[in-house]
Amino acid sequence: MAFLNALITQQFAPDAIPAAVRAAIGKPLRRAAALTQLALVGACASLPEAQRGQPTLLLWQSISGPRLETQNLLDEVCLGGGEPMPYDFLATQPALAAAQIQPFLPGLRSATHLPLDNESASHWALMLGLACTWLDQGRCAQVLCAQLDHWSDSASGQWLTVTDRPLETALASLQIAREDATGAALDNADFPAALREWLHGCQTSHLTLQSAALPRLAVEFARL
Amino acid sequence: MQRAVHIVASGLFCARGTSPSAVGEALWAGECSSQPRQLGERHFPYFPLPVDDHDWSSRAEQAVRHVGAQLGRYAPYTPLFVASSSFQIGLFEQCGAPFDMPVGSASFSRQIADWMALSGPRTSFSTACTSGFSAIDAATTLISAGLIDDAIVLGIELTNNSTLAGFAAMELLSRTACRPFDARRDGLVLGEAVAAIKLSAAPGPWKIAGIASGLDAYSTTGPDPEGGPIAGVISDCLRAAGAHPADIELIKLQAAGSPGSDLAEANALRQVFTEAMPPLLSLKPALGHTLGASGIAELATLLASLDAGQIPATANYEDLDADIGLAPTAVRSNADVRRALLNLIGFGGGLASLVVERC
Repeated sequence: MAFLNALITQQFAPDAIPAAVRAAIGKPLRRAAALTQLALVGACASLPEAQRGQPTLLLWQSISGPRLETQNLLDEVCLGGGEPMPYDFLATQPALAAAQIQPFLPGLRSATHLPLDNESASHWALMLGLACTWLDQGRCAQVLCAQLDHWSDSASGQWLTVTDRPLETALASLQIAREDATGAALDNADFPAALREWLHGCQTSHLTLQSAALPRLAVEFARL
Repeated sequence: MQRAVHIVASGLFCARGTSPSAVGEALWAGECSSQPRQLGERHFPYFPLPVDDHDWSSRAEQAVRHVGAQLGRYAPYTPLFVASSSFQIGLFEQCGAPFDMPVGSASFSRQIADWMALSGPRTSFSTACTSGFSAIDAATTLISAGLIDDAIVLGIELTNNSTLAGFAAMELLSRTACRPFDARRDGLVLGEAVAAIKLSAAPGPWKIAGIASGLDAYSTTGPDPEGGPIAGVISDCLRAAGAHPADIELIKLQAAGSPGSDLAEANALRQVFTEAMPPLLSLKPALGHTLGASGIAELATLLASLDAGQIPATANYEDLDADIGLAPTAVRSNADVRRALLNLIGFGGGLASLVVERC
């Protein structure tokens, strides 16, 4: 049994991200790509300071990936005819985000980036299923599951914080469902909104998220 | 449910050969030649795929189809886990400006699935050099929990100037050769590879005994030279495998010939294995550093070598580095290895270790 401890949605105009970083950590995050800054802002919003030292894993999916940075790199390499600026190459590497945010999240043990291959793809059930399993195995105390996207005109972060024990702020319990999920929530980009709606409503005691791709994988949320 | 996860098949297409056994034979024979690759006015050694075709997509398709065929029969709905650090950026380069980038950053994974005649779920992983083990970790977790029965994990890293130029701009590339743990080591040599393993709950010759990942935030481009975080991940991996250091009979090093990372890995190994150091092997002098594909490519190569009872020598190793104080295998061996540890140290601080065990 795991527990949903926070559900955070963030929307930014791209040029507002640095200010959000400054508000979160009191200073700018120098030489960090937009996705890295989004990850830092979201992680800080998801975890109160007392929780940031707990062993933490980060799973984050993205449709955009470092799209704008990759475009910039391609321009430099293919049109500039020379070698890129090191920072521009580094900005295309999403794996770097973890190293840059760990100083502010000292419990961060590893981070896995799952780039999505189309607009309608989503791995919420996969990420939550892995989180439940890894928490059960004792690999960590909490798992941050996120979707981060950065486009030319918008940036967004959706965050679910899953912990191995109920904190005071816990919203629901969750576990991998062992029975067929009928009437389940869809595994798509709107799932966090559906989860929020369920949390704020009172119609049903359970909400099941069925993986769109893996028939045996469903995650069941229950009210506390 | 906790089920054992077996490696039941593998496929490989890289500079050294077009199957795991062919690559294993080439390494046993000591082959390690690279080709020069020009970048601006500089030349770097490089390990390209053995394909006489300059069309990026055509090369990719040939390699992926070839690797898929080596896996034997698999159901079309088998889940596919793709590991890469650059995906199809080389295709964008070849098509030129204006760069037609699809909306999904991993859209290339759909193309890979089509080439492999796979219509089931696809999941992509991009954690730089540790991408392959990230994908294996997720697939292993799902199989072990009974949520899927089989998975194909494919690592792919294909030629592109963006990666080469990026590493070159940071002065991380050797101009001569990859010399792991050697006093003369001066950087990485990049290469291409497509590699795959089929994981299954059904019995197979090898099993995933343990896997662990970690993070070293010492620097975005290199690990803590003391090796503490790397040692921590190796220890976590041994614990997950239920193994003691003395149980490990061979270590496939990350050792890419990088001055800093090689030293960090050596210091980590000394912390974990103290005086009882198992034989150490680096495959990168013969395969190149294939980045997001390296985890799968080196695993497939290692298992082929172990299945043949032919542990190669580490190519290009000659001079002991006093700071490292450890030497990789300098002579070939026919030792029977039943349990091996594989290390990955990733650009950007990602760390991963894997223990495989003969069934």
